Amino acid sequence: MIPEEVGKTAAQCRHYAMCKIDFLGTGLCPSGRVKHYVSYYPQGRMDICDGLARGLIPVTEGLVDIVGTCTLCGICDKQCHFVTGLRPLKVMRSLKEFIAAYIAAGQEVKIVDSDPVLESLREIVGHEWASNDPAILLTYSNDPFPLADMQMPRYVVLPRTGDQIVRLVHLANGRGIPYVVRGNGGSVFGFVFTDGIVIDVNRMKSIDIDRDNWVAVVEPGVTSFELQQEVAKLGFRVNAAEPAATVCGNIVCTGMFSTWSNAYGVGADNFVNMEFVDRQGGLFHLNEKTAPNIFAFTNEGSPSPGICTKAYVRMHPAIDDEEGLLVPFSSFSGAVSFARDLSRRRIGSAIGVLGGHYLSTFISPSAELAERVRSCLTEALGIEYAVFIVADRYARETIKGMAGTIIDNRLFRMLMLGLPHLNEDGWLDLIRDLENEEQPYEILLREEMYPVIETVLSPSPETLAQAVDHDLKDFYSSLYARPEMTDLLWLNAFRIVSSRMARHKHVFVFVAYVPLARLDIIEHIAAELKAIADRYAISNDFGFLTPLDLGKRAILEYDYYIDHTDRSEGVKIGKALGEVEPMFDRLSATTKGVRWLKYVFGQGSSRKESFLYT
Amino acid sequence: MAGKKIVMRASPQAIEEKRRTRGSAILVTGGTGLIGSHLVAKLCRTGYRVIAIARPNKQMTGQERINRLLDWFGLDSPARSRIEILEGHLDDPDLGLDSTRYRQLAEDIDEIVHCASDTSFSERKRAQVEKANVANLENVLELASRSTCCFFHHISTAYAAGKNGGRPCKEDLVETGAFTNVYEETKHRAEWIATKRCASEGIRLNIYRPSIVHGDSKTGRTIRFNALYYPIRTILFFKNLYEKDIVTNSGRNAEKMGVYIDRDGIIHLPIRVKVAAFGGINLIPVDYFVEAFMAIMEDCLEGGIFHIVNTRTRPIEEIIDYVRRLFRVAGIRVVPCEDRANLPRNGLEVLFDHYIRVYEPYIRDTRIFENSRAEAILKKRNIACPEFDYDAFSKCMQYAVDVDWGTRL
Repeated sequence: MIPEEVGKTAAQCRHYAMCKIDFLGTGLCPSGRVKHYVSYYPQGRMDICDGLARGLIPVTEGLVDIVGTCTLCGICDKQCHFVTGLRPLKVMRSLKEFIAAYIAAGQEVKIVDSDPVLESLREIVGHEWASNDPAILLTYSNDPFPLADMQMPRYVVLPRTGDQIVRLVHLANGRGIPYVVRGNGGSVFGFVFTDGIVIDVNRMKSIDIDRDNWVAVVEPGVTSFELQQEVAKLGFRVNAAEPAATVCGNIVCTGMFSTWSNAYGVGADNFVNMEFVDRQGGLFHLNEKTAPNIFAFTNEGSPSPGICTKAYVRMHPAIDDEEGLLVPFSSFSGAVSFARDLSRRRIGSAIGVLGGHYLSTFISPSAELAERVRSCLTEALGIEYAVFIVADRYARETIKGMAGTIIDNRLFRMLMLGLPHLNEDGWLDLIRDLENEEQPYEILLREEMYPVIETVLSPSPETLAQAVDHDLKDFYSSLYARPEMTDLLWLNAFRIVSSRMARHKHVFVFVAYVPLARLDIIEHIAAELKAIADRYAISNDFGFLTPLDLGKRAILEYDYYIDHTDRSEGVKIGKALGEVEPMFDRLSATTKGVRWLKYVFGQGSSRKESFLYT
Repeated sequence: MAGKKIVMRASPQAIEEKRRTRGSAILVTGGTGLIGSHLVAKLCRTGYRVIAIARPNKQMTGQERINRLLDWFGLDSPARSRIEILEGHLDDPDLGLDSTRYRQLAEDIDEIVHCASDTSFSERKRAQVEKANVANLENVLELASRSTCCFFHHISTAYAAGKNGGRPCKEDLVETGAFTNVYEETKHRAEWIATKRCASEGIRLNIYRPSIVHGDSKTGRTIRFNALYYPIRTILFFKNLYEKDIVTNSGRNAEKMGVYIDRDGIIHLPIRVKVAAFGGINLIPVDYFVEAFMAIMEDCLEGGIFHIVNTRTRPIEEIIDYVRRLFRVAGIRVVPCEDRANLPRNGLEVLFDHYIRVYEPYIRDTRIFENSRAEAILKKRNIACPEFDYDAFSKCMQYAVDVDWGTRL
């Protein structure tokens, strides 16, 4: 028996695949690194545990192997806690105990028979890299998307080369078996499930750097984090999406966007060429004259042009004196106007307006601390929003002149490492209660106050580590002793904290392109999304906004938060979507520049001009 | 309405008689504030029937908030039996009550004591302050006009006359004025609004103008810790912070800030307080205000305006000296304003600068408040404003520390 509590933890896995990248320098789950199937990573084992607890799968040879290869090294606990606050190690331990007891009791371990299709798949990719074991299939059958049912594939296959993908497509077409391709994780939108073949590209991880052309050629298994790591070594950066998302998958699906999109653009701005295997199994490059025109856009949604087997991604030079900084605001309109102004004046590279929830969640290593920090930021200091900017030293001086109050990286480091003491002895209440024409943050964040802040917060890795479970304190202390962990620029380039937004619940995002000069429209969209969510008692919050194309457009994210294990939350989301869709359709039809990301899905490699200015 | 003779709703004798028999029902607004809560308690203890209207906050219902305060006052059961608490708020014309309850209330009340007010000085809070001090007053006056109310008691401020061009402030309505802040301005407007509305409705009106109110002169007790309390609380915060740094961190941060503990164990905080050369703070204890209010209420049945102030202002140097003595803190000194531009400021001073910027008109106040009308009544009853001396200061601050500036209330 899997203990109920363990089953519940297992069911909480968010499927963000953060356990499949070495984002903390802890190393990867040893078995996952070798076996590549998601089943051999902590994410897969969480699903298997959940599946066993719910009686969805039998104990098979594959399952025994998956459980047996777990060394209980504890890497998953550190990685997962950093992002979600979950502690998967107890799940891993329970799985091992369950299987040990199962075998000791002499119960049947099922041997799954092969079949001709599986044999053909194995002929293409090698015996080890195709499977029909239910323990493996289960881990490719669902994600936290509340509106999609579980769908078990018949096969999972892990090709190594583009040529193998060509052959797989031919095989699937020839036998009339549907297939989907899957990047590092699920899409968390229910898009990568099939009852046919799942092609997992996790083994296709090569990165070739073409320095002369400032281009990185990446295979489809390469994640944003891995690519950023490689190019950073050479003094470059790329416009990176979520760290665990694959670069090719991201480009094809939604297009690459982030706070860097202010400078580096979206859609086709981010690559110079791509290689695809089309639906008939033919290989083509986008830059060929005869290639299909996937730079165009249709506002109805469109299937992807095939399986991306290579992306030639633009690299951008990093400048030595760049730093990240935050400009706090008490109002949304103030923050958005400021971000637009920066973009129009070409000041700064990455720019994003962050809401209080994002800000407090990103910087706090525990949900409980994030709650406290949010209340400190908003109620005591009056910081409802912050504009995040990456800027060189000249731009930073300008921004300081424009904004008055900024949180530079020195202050950010101090605040972050001293977060647990933020309201020590009612310190912030003292600031809040100061009757003044200025917002409390405008007083607190002055440079003269730095020594006082330092005394109040006693910032140090050990101070910050007070916020986590006792047994993780040492790990967090050493983790936060690393300068990059409190470096706004690094954190933004590698985005390792952004997955924390789903720490308290699974996040359901609404993203739309909006005309940045139309603050009224932006506020209207945010207000409508809030009103709809409130009507269905769905927890919700503004996410972020990033200017695009010199302040003409922006990308807006608004988030709904749900417990994906609770069916009733899925029902609520379904009803809410029934109102959100017509709202966006109406706005898209009547307001230039409004484009819901739903219709960009599958057209992420379009030129931005094709969807921003139609 | 020119030329129309207004008949007052009740004669002084009728009012007096009703009060004497304790038949009056008095609606009190702002019953969770410093003055309002004290008046609720005092009126109940005196035997009046009180109706308090209170809004809920994040933690408690209005009922719970008032009851908690009555506990704090130690009100006994007979007194408590004379209070009725209504869950409502003054933001809406119907005061957040359903139509039946609103009608019942209108039929029930004889007098209104309007204490509800927003005491923020910040211009950035203008909308909020105007709403609380003007719009909400109009909602209460509307109730008064639609009710059986015959006497309106409006708690204003001695500073409603604004800067008053350096002239003595009279116990009268002021025609025009330049104001230090939005609080003064809205309280000024409120006085005119109340005066006109009450006159047109035949409701008698008393306007009470206290100066800066602090804790009880005998016990130091209070429920609010702003104004006078804020800078003291800040000093103590820094004192504790740097003492801890010196004890546990070898004083590294204290040294950077120029903070140290001398041989006598006195901590030196380098804080230069920049204020004008003349003037002082006009402070009155809350118990004095309550006594004065009750006396004026009972004595003045025709209506009038009354300054409830201290005839002796305190210079800030004296307060700093009290701080030094009570808390064993040195290093705080007053610097003339003229030097303001030339001084680089440390973090401790930045906070004080911001505080002073807002409160300076009240710290170095040179305004003179005539109070002959109030004085005539108070003198008859031997009610005099207690001195704000070291003893009173100590009691107030000791209480504040004991309740951790309100967090342990």
